[in-house]
Amino acid sequence: MKRIRTLLQKYCAVAVINLHSSTAYTGEVAMRSIMITVILYVLVHLWKAAYSASGATAISGLTVRDTLWYLVLTETIILSKSAFSTRISEEVRDGSLAYTIMRPYNYILYHMSYSLGDSLVKLLMNFAAGALVVLLLEGPPQHFTIVMIPFLLISVILALVLDFCFEGLIGLCAFILEDVSSLQLIYNKILFILGGMLIPLDFFPGWLAALSKALPFNLVLYGPARIFVRGEISAALTILFLQCLWITVMATILFLLYRKAVKYLSINGG
Amino acid sequence: MHAVEISFLTKSFRTVLREPGLKGSLRAVFSPRYLNVEAVKDISLNLEEGEILAFIGPNGAGKSTTIKILTGILFPSGGEAKVLGLTPWKDRQKLAYHIGSVFGQKPQLWYHLPPIDTFNLFSKIYELDINAYRKSLNFLIDAFDIGSLITTPVRKLSLGQRMKCEIAASLLHKPRIIFLDEPTIGLDVVAKQQIRDTIRHLHDSEGTTVFLTSHDAGDIESLCKRVIIINHGQVLYDNRVSALKRRYLTKKAISVRFAEKIEGQFFMEGVEVLKMSEYGVKLQFQTDATPVEKVIEQLMQAHSVVDITVQDPPMEEIIRSIYEKPPEERKDESASEEAE
Repeated sequence: MKRIRTLLQKYCAVAVINLHSSTAYTGEVAMRSIMITVILYVLVHLWKAAYSASGATAISGLTVRDTLWYLVLTETIILSKSAFSTRISEEVRDGSLAYTIMRPYNYILYHMSYSLGDSLVKLLMNFAAGALVVLLLEGPPQHFTIVMIPFLLISVILALVLDFCFEGLIGLCAFILEDVSSLQLIYNKILFILGGMLIPLDFFPGWLAALSKALPFNLVLYGPARIFVRGEISAALTILFLQCLWITVMATILFLLYRKAVKYLSINGG
Repeated sequence: MHAVEISFLTKSFRTVLREPGLKGSLRAVFSPRYLNVEAVKDISLNLEEGEILAFIGPNGAGKSTTIKILTGILFPSGGEAKVLGLTPWKDRQKLAYHIGSVFGQKPQLWYHLPPIDTFNLFSKIYELDINAYRKSLNFLIDAFDIGSLITTPVRKLSLGQRMKCEIAASLLHKPRIIFLDEPTIGLDVVAKQQIRDTIRHLHDSEGTTVFLTSHDAGDIESLCKRVIIINHGQVLYDNRVSALKRRYLTKKAISVRFAEKIEGQFFMEGVEVLKMSEYGVKLQFQTDATPVEKVIEQLMQAHSVVDITVQDPPMEEIIRSIYEKPPEERKDESASEEAE
């Protein structure tokens, strides 16, 4: 029991120092929030035009306001998620991996705590800024109730953990390839489309919607956003279950691969 | 128990051979040719607990690779290594509590935060008892004179200030062995001396074993009793620093100041004139061919001498002469050294 507490303290300390570090520049944090307000301002007008052109009040059960709140959440997650693969890649290139890999902790868990610490502040800031835009231009979300808050919060955290696993798999390639920006680009594009960042998956043609929902990427963005706009507990539980399932699968692969990748490691700087 | 035991350690990297230009890059993608680089080949050495070892060699000799294997970061291609009885690459986490390392050119402090935040984090990561942590922190603050620095964000510190904090961060958990990879690189004399003093103090008071690589002969002279020189991944020399001096210090330099002006050229058999002015001269000679006393005697007889200074060549020169010798010659030397 005491051992578990010490370990928790250890990883919490990592998350906290990074939370602290990511708020070191208040200016930069504020600028990032401006980014999401601009994106959402554009999206509000784009989707309003799209809805009025089609003449429908709801597409696949989503009204224009639902769609916009959906996008608040997906944009918040995509802008707040931590680029773990880029960080591994940097560590390999500047050689600081020599330090981070030889401390008494699990390297993967260390980086997971690091990423979560980094993301938490960004999540709050981005959500507040994005929600403000849609709230002012369109009004409050229609189906969201206070009861859903815990489901939403857990789902967002799980989404970040799942994303961390994907990023980690890409990042481990840096042990061998050194530069993984191309892989990361591909992953981000997958999230844009199959993850449902740009368009809710429900709008896709049948086969593409089915494919996207069968793949785990939708659980990073579409899943939590859907909980937010639909507000159905049973659907929320299914999403949480699928998130946990995929995290278990991906984390297992990640840990196994890490043990392999470490053997291939070569560190720059002689 | 030996603090470090290495036997027949080898590490080779396989890299893709890239030819210059676009054509070369394309060829590397479609039919890559590989180059096997043997960074470490057959290194064997033992280090007793409490020893301070200088592990030196020119750039690319395999020093850092060896340290990375010993700290568990790299897996060797062959051979055995034990650090405090543990195999580093298998028991990395267990070993991490007992060793500390400083890589002079690599950052470990959180760049945007003051060093004290990183120190506090490390106290959690290394699971330090709060009192032990405070004691150790206070000691390091005094030793490095960093009391006023630890609350300043790292990005605002100068290189010297930052390095002192980087090293302090590696020592907080009182490691039994410290691996220092060029800890004083780019620092001024005062900062260098503080770092050397602290390392020596830790060694004297805690019996810390020190494994040091450095290109600074001053680090080696002021800290180490034993020196291992490696090049091309092999051990060239393993003996006491004093023996290194005795063996390779075959040259001496003498600076003389005369009472009267000297006319014409200065000449003495077996002696090379390095510098000459109206009232003085700087000479250099091989002591095995021309004994010091003979040179001084001649000088005294010929002129009226005001002042005379006999100097050893700097350590750097000795090391350079070992690096520069062709491999066969060096092999013979270390064999005869062992026989001594």
